Amino acid sequence: MEKLKISFTLQSPLVTNGGYMTLDALLAALIFDQGGDLEKAHADIPLMNTNGLWHGSAAFFEKIDTEKKGFVANLHAGHDLDLDLVMKNKSGNVHRAIGLTRRRDYGAVFNSYRMYTATEISWYATGDREQIQRLLSEVEFIGKRRASGFGQVANLVIEESDNDGVVGLFGEPLRPIPLEMFSGDKSSLRADAAWRPAYWHPMNRAVCYVPAQ
Amino acid sequence: MATCLLASHESRSLLRACPMNTFEFFNQHFGRHLVSQEGEPDFAAYRALSSNHKLVKGTESRLASGWAIVRPSISSVQLKLAATGLRFDERTRIEAFMEEFEQWDGIEPRMFLMFDKAPIPLENLFLTVDRRLVRICSPAGVETFDANKAPTEESGGIQKAIWKRK
Repeated sequence: MEKLKISFTLQSPLVTNGGYMTLDALLAALIFDQGGDLEKAHADIPLMNTNGLWHGSAAFFEKIDTEKKGFVANLHAGHDLDLDLVMKNKSGNVHRAIGLTRRRDYGAVFNSYRMYTATEISWYATGDREQIQRLLSEVEFIGKRRASGFGQVANLVIEESDNDGVVGLFGEPLRPIPLEMFSGDKSSLRADAAWRPAYWHPMNRAVCYVPAQ
Repeated sequence: MATCLLASHESRSLLRACPMNTFEFFNQHFGRHLVSQEGEPDFAAYRALSSNHKLVKGTESRLASGWAIVRPSISSVQLKLAATGLRFDERTRIEAFMEEFEQWDGIEPRMFLMFDKAPIPLENLFLTVDRRLVRICSPAGVETFDANKAPTEESGGIQKAIWKRK
């Protein structure tokens, strides 16, 4: 395991929906894409792990410009929506009958995101350089709205670093770290944040020291 | 929760002040006054946010309007619920949130909730544990801002309204 700085050069603006975009989340997503096995994706991340905390930092990028970006998504129940993923009412049915033909039954949804113009996006980590390189070399786009051309990656650079992916050189948190696991600067920002994968799951949240964004 | 790695005296005292699970905090200081606490904490929180509750006037209503501030001491809610253990507070949400920011010690967690017709989704429930990163939770999303800083053009409505009243 080596201390590394991992950088992508970006060719198009990056779209995000907030969050810290930690390296372990990105690597887990890439492993999941290869095999479709969620448990394996969360177990085989090629980074150091201490008591559940992955040594992969949040994403850092210098924002040249930023603006709000809206997208309209047209959802068609029969094709796009797995009803097993929709919350059920007390009788076990979905809350609303979803039609398969009429657009008004399940139509357009407007989603707002934040778009950033940046030349580079970077992470710090302690991990296996070869495995990280193998996984990340597959990445062509990063962030949200990848299929729309946002977050296009031009180049991957992996180099040695002094940062371990958890706490920076001045004691600042480089990723969400639960209070009791943090030994750095206690004046750092604190927030209720997910600190381990799956990051979308609210039960993986804890009060953490977090990087300033 | 993982075992303590580097627990200092300071972080232990912060831990005591900050329950580590969002839903446990919500249930302990708000939800338990409204619904039974059977099952997982997230499911109990969902029931509190989406079920009908008895009002003082005798009818029932969901938390479909107004606001609430969840605190480790007694929590406040604008809706006149027939629930012992919650304090009825008729201030506007802007008045209530602004005064809370002014009085808050910044150590014990808070939850700032704004209700609307749709229940607040669980993924929009967040603790606020730092004045520099306040989170206002609503069905439409989570407004996040630094309560010490002036709003910018792109800031959300609550931050702008609070700053205007200062």
